[in-house]
Amino acid sequence: MKSRLVFLLLLGVFLSSGWTALAQPPVREQLVYSLTSFNGSTYSKSFAPQSEDTIYLIANTNNIVNPRKTIVYYWPITRRYMAGFSTLNEAVPGKLEILQGGKVIATLEEQKYVLYYPEGYFSEKTIMYLNEEADAAHERYKKAMDEFNAKLKEYYEAMRKYREDLNKFFEEVRRRREAGETGPLDIPIPKEPSPPEFVNFYVSEPATGFVVNLPPGHYEIRVRLEDGTILEGSEKKLVVFTSRRKGGIGYEIIPGNRWTKRENCDDPSWIIHAVGKNELYFNPFTQEEYNELYHNKLQDPQNIGRIERWKWVHVDPVKDATLLFGRGKEVLKTVTRAPYFVKQIPGPELGYEIVDYDEDLKKRGYKPTFESYKVILGPELPKVDYTIQTVASENQMPLPKSERTIRLLRKAYSMYLYPLAFLPLAVGAGIVIARRARIET
Amino acid sequence: MRTFRVMKTLFRRDFLYSLYSLGYYVAIFVSFFVSSFILKNFLDSIGEEDILVSAYPLNYPLYITLVIISLYLVILSGVSISREREQGTLEVLFYGPVTPGSFLWGKYLKDLCLGMVALGFTALYFYLVSVLTNIGFTMGLVKALIMSIFLISCVVSFGLFVSSLTGRIRSSVLALVAILGAFLAIQFAYNALLGFEKESLSVPMLYVRQAMSYVFRGISWISPFAYLSRGLDSVVLENPLLYLANIGYALLYSFIFMFLSVYVMSKKGVKA
Repeated sequence: MKSRLVFLLLLGVFLSSGWTALAQPPVREQLVYSLTSFNGSTYSKSFAPQSEDTIYLIANTNNIVNPRKTIVYYWPITRRYMAGFSTLNEAVPGKLEILQGGKVIATLEEQKYVLYYPEGYFSEKTIMYLNEEADAAHERYKKAMDEFNAKLKEYYEAMRKYREDLNKFFEEVRRRREAGETGPLDIPIPKEPSPPEFVNFYVSEPATGFVVNLPPGHYEIRVRLEDGTILEGSEKKLVVFTSRRKGGIGYEIIPGNRWTKRENCDDPSWIIHAVGKNELYFNPFTQEEYNELYHNKLQDPQNIGRIERWKWVHVDPVKDATLLFGRGKEVLKTVTRAPYFVKQIPGPELGYEIVDYDEDLKKRGYKPTFESYKVILGPELPKVDYTIQTVASENQMPLPKSERTIRLLRKAYSMYLYPLAFLPLAVGAGIVIARRARIET
Repeated sequence: MRTFRVMKTLFRRDFLYSLYSLGYYVAIFVSFFVSSFILKNFLDSIGEEDILVSAYPLNYPLYITLVIISLYLVILSGVSISREREQGTLEVLFYGPVTPGSFLWGKYLKDLCLGMVALGFTALYFYLVSVLTNIGFTMGLVKALIMSIFLISCVVSFGLFVSSLTGRIRSSVLALVAILGAFLAIQFAYNALLGFEKESLSVPMLYVRQAMSYVFRGISWISPFAYLSRGLDSVVLENPLLYLANIGYALLYSFIFMFLSVYVMSKKGVKA
């Protein structure tokens, strides 16, 4: 009995320790590279743990590479290493050396930088400013924020006064009505103050890091400490790459029947196949084509990708343009960019409809769900090829590689595809029979 | 001059023999039937209010057609070389003015011309498909068809090289089917694995994909089907330089393997 108790106790201790070991992944202090890399359109933040021996960056752009000592642990659910920068984020004193073919080609010192978001923190575009420009940008943001805060203070004061005036107004109305006064009362109605516009851009806090801006190629990086030695574990390969194709226009297409599941028509050779009962909303973008593996690794060195595949990265939305819908050389419709509102259909059935964003919706306080170029493919359209093309508003010139084909298919005739396959058999049989007949005669 | 005349005679004999045999047309029919199946599924996959964004939908059927036709031609040539060797016809021919060069170049030209006739059928078939369904007979498809001539040349020269190495009909067919089948299997399997996103693949499958990637890279300059894929890619990319470069690679590949075939046959002799 006693031995069984001891066995159970030991088993319990063993299992609980094993469970704890499983539940808490091992945490290690590690030298990592914290990265702020330009991804073609904006800056993405990631880090390269010791498990990754290569860092990927886009050529001729400013990128921040920062060696840091931090806590790293493996998270089995996502199969990746996580960094605990909030627990430990220690800078490594020294210089960053860049090598090519075994020779040091540059020794970098840390520089001050900020990230500038021209349309607010969630804007799709980000610009990096360095040194004095970084200070100036941050100063501009601070000044704008101070002005906003001052205006906000004034607004709160005005609101307080407005509420007081409003109370006085109601009090006056009540008093004069109780006094038996009828008809319109000539009392001025207090005007509600409008809140100040929030600062429409954002600039990150100034930080320091090694700014890497290199032409395409294969390099190596390492940290040389102040005592002249190389920091152990700081050597990494650096792949600096560029786009394969650039300067074209890609489209994001919102199908009217499923607006949440958008399609992309990025490659100029891609064709939009439809049957002819569609409402399509087109959003043009400038774009660049990158190697999928390189670009995925750039966004996060722990990502994997396919070196054989290429991906289009949308750089900037094209807003100041019109869309031409045509057939051959003939322009059937000129489409302008317009706001749209997605309206949930009331009732038990699930669904929605996309409606034009009008004054009524605006008055009711609704904001447009998206802005786009709408093209309707009605069933009355002949089943042939159509084109869309984006032209710049300022000079009415077509944007390069913006033309796409919309092909309306004749689905009803698909059943004749199999009989077509018999064509060579019929020809072959004819030739063989004719030859035999000729030989026999 | 004499070699050229011999080559022409051998080419004419083999070419007409194949052109008058039903097997050639059956092979084209099979390839078109598979293409029809693919295209029917493509059309059926587009719902009434849906759209489907894709590259030229005829490229994949063209690829399948080329694979089937070139496999047929290669096996046919392989069998005919082995048969002539086994039956002693080759020995008799070589006592005359026939040389390994004229014999193999004759076979090569025959296969290439049969491939071109098959491409003519393919162009007609795709044109009719386009008329029926508006799937699109584009300039890109014309370029792909022109590129296909050079890619058939790759498959044929590789097939002749394998046939020159083997002796008997059975071993020749087995070797051709095994090698070309392995090339195709690796390419299809790798492309299928490439189609999956990382999240949808288990860890062992990720390792398999990585291993396949190395194997694929290893065979990418040997497998004639890899030239086919690269050639069709250059059409999609609309890059004239890449297009011409791929034609150049295909010609170089064909000449290297034809040279090797002639060399092997000269060294090995004509006896089974």
